[in-house]
Amino acid sequence: MPLLEVHNLASGYGEVQILWGATLSLEPGKLTCLVGGNGVGKTTLLRTVMGLLKPWQGSVKFDGQDISRSPAYAKADMGLVLVPEGRQLFTDMTVTENLEMGATNRHSRARVKENLERVFTMFPRLKERATQKSGTMSGGEQQMLAVARGIMADPKLLIIDEMSLGLSPLLSLQLFQNLKQLKGTGLTVLLVEQNVQMALAVSDYGYVMAQGKVQMHGPARELMQNQHIREAYLGL
Amino acid sequence: MISALSASLIDGLMIGLVYGIAAMGLTLIWGVMRVINLAHGAIIALGMFGIYLLFTNLGLNPYLGLLVVAVAGLLGGMLLYQLTIRRVINAPYLSTLLATFAINMIIIGLGTAAFSTSPRNVDFTLGSTNLGEITILNTRLVAALAALGITIGLYLFLFRTRPGKYVRAVANNRTAAELMGIPSSRILALSFGIGVMLAAVAGALIATFFPFTILSGDPYQLKSFVIGVLGGLGNPLGALVGGLILGVLEGIVPNFMPNTWVPVLEFMLFVLILLVRPSGLFGAKR
Repeated sequence: MPLLEVHNLASGYGEVQILWGATLSLEPGKLTCLVGGNGVGKTTLLRTVMGLLKPWQGSVKFDGQDISRSPAYAKADMGLVLVPEGRQLFTDMTVTENLEMGATNRHSRARVKENLERVFTMFPRLKERATQKSGTMSGGEQQMLAVARGIMADPKLLIIDEMSLGLSPLLSLQLFQNLKQLKGTGLTVLLVEQNVQMALAVSDYGYVMAQGKVQMHGPARELMQNQHIREAYLGL
Repeated sequence: MISALSASLIDGLMIGLVYGIAAMGLTLIWGVMRVINLAHGAIIALGMFGIYLLFTNLGLNPYLGLLVVAVAGLLGGMLLYQLTIRRVINAPYLSTLLATFAINMIIIGLGTAAFSTSPRNVDFTLGSTNLGEITILNTRLVAALAALGITIGLYLFLFRTRPGKYVRAVANNRTAAELMGIPSSRILALSFGIGVMLAAVAGALIATFFPFTILSGDPYQLKSFVIGVLGGLGNPLGALVGGLILGVLEGIVPNFMPNTWVPVLEFMLFVLILLVRPSGLFGAKR
């Protein structure tokens, strides 16, 4: 059974429709990516899935349950966690406090210590900065913290929006490696990326989005090699 | 002269602590949800009447009455949020200003009908303490200590407890808090409740040593604004320091010029801060 099923989802802002019937489904334990250029509706899709925007039509199922209408905060309890674009850290709070705020749902609350150790091993840099206010760190460190905060929630599905945006290639690569490592622990990950090549290179499966819809999907390796896709959608 | 000065300094510091917690209520609500609570003064007056009625009609010790007022303030504030503020929380500032101003008018209207505007006082003393030539009213001393305790309590709550950290997280980034599983509307209700509680408690403490009417909250609301801006709106510690500055000003100035000059100086200070350091003494630069 797919972990997340998005069926014919449409939404937008005010009168402006952005999403025109997007459909996708994620298999558990896989690293999937959703790629496409700027402004094709990737972030709108995520905001609708998370409940920050109301769907105009279509449905979202998570773990077999219809969650189309449930509020955003209830989703973390189910194990559906989004690392939003632009990090959205609690900039006035320390690194450790940010991580604690990641672990607010029922099952993660009991495992704060354990998970803290886990993310500190994964990102030793954050351990060095544990008592620093997160807003004063560099962009790369902030992105690590945003991902780590997501992991603290003990998610079943971790969705990461534009992880590599504004990061050096080296740091992006390191973060992508970390995600592969996470996949090894059974976590399902959805990467939403403009950095198409890198995203497809680490993913098992890929979805290509354009004009508010999912245009194409398949194993990441095949998408990478398909000349038509490369030219029409990925600008490669 | 020296002893008169130090007596008024100590008086000012003690009252300043109480002003501080009143202002903390205002500044906490602003910091968390960007709402300027124009019912703040009316709630302070309700706190005064709360302790008065409990003491006069039920004979409850004022400091036990204070606890009752605190709990009622917290719950009443949360209810008020759910009934009113929640509906305008995402609207432009003018809507929240009008909404809280309407609450203010309702409280004052009903209060005037019920209690008239003749002054009341809580007929209660604890005697006084002599320190050399200086005499301190014990009710003021207790009020100052209570205010200090409440400030420390608020700090421990915000920085050491999970719900307190949720309050800070929601204040800092509401969308992110929601995504992390924090039910932000419940946290907003809690924050509003705490803000109202602080105002009511400040009113109750003031009522143990000053007479009051249902209209008495107004000057304290204005003071709270001055203090809030002085310390930096949204910063509870700044509110405490701002309260102390205002209290000391009120204590010292009457030694040199007529009492009526105190508000003039206070608002001159207010304008000066707005000109020189609009984010307040402790405000973050945005």
